[in-house]
Amino acid sequence: MGQHPLLVIGVIVVIVWIVAALLASQIAPYEPLAQDVRNRVQPPSLTHPGGTDELGRDVFSRVLYGGRITIPAGILVIIFGSLLGSTVGAIAGFLGGVWDEIIMRVAELFMAFPTIILAMAVTAALGPDIRNAIIALVVVWWPGYARLMRGLVLKIKTNDYVEAAYCVGAPRRYILVRTIVPNCIASVLVMTTLDIGNAILTFAGLSFLGLGPEPTSPEWGRMVAVGIDYFDQWWTWLYPGMAIATLVIAFNFIGDGLRDIFDPRLR
Amino acid sequence: MTFFRYIARRVLFTIPILLGITLVSFLIANAVPADPINVNLPQSQLNNPEIVAAFRAEWGLDKSPLDQYLTYLGNLVQGNLGRSIKTRQLVADDIARFLPATIELATNATVLGILLGVGLGVASAVWRNHWIDFLARTMAVIGVSVPVFVLALVFLSVFHAQLGIAAGPGRLDFTMDEPAMVTGLFTIDSLAAGRMDIFINAVAHLVLPSIVLALYVAGLISRVTRSAMLEVLGMDYMRTARAKGVREIIVIMRHGLSNAMIPILTVIGLSYGNLLAGAVLTESIFAWPGIGRYMFRASTSQDFPAIMGVSLLIALIYVVVNLVVDLLYYFVDPRLRAN
Repeated sequence: MGQHPLLVIGVIVVIVWIVAALLASQIAPYEPLAQDVRNRVQPPSLTHPGGTDELGRDVFSRVLYGGRITIPAGILVIIFGSLLGSTVGAIAGFLGGVWDEIIMRVAELFMAFPTIILAMAVTAALGPDIRNAIIALVVVWWPGYARLMRGLVLKIKTNDYVEAAYCVGAPRRYILVRTIVPNCIASVLVMTTLDIGNAILTFAGLSFLGLGPEPTSPEWGRMVAVGIDYFDQWWTWLYPGMAIATLVIAFNFIGDGLRDIFDPRLR
Repeated sequence: MTFFRYIARRVLFTIPILLGITLVSFLIANAVPADPINVNLPQSQLNNPEIVAAFRAEWGLDKSPLDQYLTYLGNLVQGNLGRSIKTRQLVADDIARFLPATIELATNATVLGILLGVGLGVASAVWRNHWIDFLARTMAVIGVSVPVFVLALVFLSVFHAQLGIAAGPGRLDFTMDEPAMVTGLFTIDSLAAGRMDIFINAVAHLVLPSIVLALYVAGLISRVTRSAMLEVLGMDYMRTARAKGVREIIVIMRHGLSNAMIPILTVIGLSYGNLLAGAVLTESIFAWPGIGRYMFRASTSQDFPAIMGVSLLIALIYVVVNLVVDLLYYFVDPRLRAN
């Protein structure tokens, strides 16, 4: 562990944010939606360690609660995106031929758009809310996993033990699910850890553009966007911004550390 | 001759890709419950069936989706991207107006990002596991992790609002007139018009947004540079070059870096394409009238013609960037030239 200080830092920071989000109702000094208009945009003080926003809500409390939206959103995107993408990719790689062509060409079409632009178009079309932002990101995320999984399946398909399974008369579905897929899972998991920071970053970006949670909700990207109108009152946007930054940096430290461990060539 | 045939074949292959893009963007725009009428007509006119019918007829929304799509393709073949519902201008004209701002920003950011990223990546590989490597890698992770919209605000707050040493949002100060349109790139147009004052102002406004984007790009590039360089540095010809007594800097740059260029070029092309197409966050904070903001406005107002036009443009940008990258491979790697 001592060889990977950044990995350790990343794990600690992520745990701190998850605990903060889970215990937000115990730790936070104020309700995240409680307004106090007479004390609006107050700088950080002993009563409000993070200052107050444009409606007098406590910024520190809102940042703590914000983790309850952003962290699960990022994780859900990765879970659904990797499940959908891996399934589709495994089928493409296993069946080959026409199916492979069709599935991978469709995946490539989705990859032809930059992440945020495609997500923006989908969310704008479905209507802005948390669920639709997650759906939009899954639409953007699956092709990467489809491509990875297809490549893995193609490689593993040629192994002798797969041939052996055919020879003993195992059904095709059994071969795919029991013989091939388990050998792909490790690579997919490494990719998910490398990816989760990115998913959180993109979710916060959508939210910043107003295509995520409703405006009043204590979501970090949304808070930064609202804070722009109070640009000189830096605490309204800097604290939620730092929350996103530290969390994503931590997840990327973890992803990089794991990749170093699994791929010693790059060390 | 084979060189030109190669390019011609690549260009031909883009046609099915572009067709696919029109289909995907059309499906996304149509397979949704939202109705452009609700966004684009004022509330008072929504109850007037005549106006609603006229709106539908004007934009072809009264036809079946298949008819709409075929009409679109028919116009596209004649080079007509249609008219934006939101701006009421021809989509092609809109793109011509918004694209230069994005090109100017993305190009500057990419050049800065290459200098910084390749430098960091090479240093990181040469001093592997040294504190320099550790520092460079940490900076790379931070560069790709900090949201651009947060970094942009911090930079604006510190360098523009507090210290007053950098220009604020926009492409020029409000008091400045835009230079006469030639290329749409203000830095070039101002020089063409002989207006040094506009040139200096335009460059000043480019500094902050370029640096914000460049830090992200540098993060991507330095990671790839490091791993590509590590692979090359272990090669026998590096030892041979050193044994011949070649100076270390030449060994690293000429024998090392130029052999590591292929993956580096790939990531540069990818990130340049991404900046040209998807710098919407940076553009919206810096009030930069670019293609990302145009796409954002189009998506939020269900402006189908504009969404499809920009989607096509993005696909085209990727195709061109990829082609250029492939051609650069050809120049960087003599082995490819032989084939």
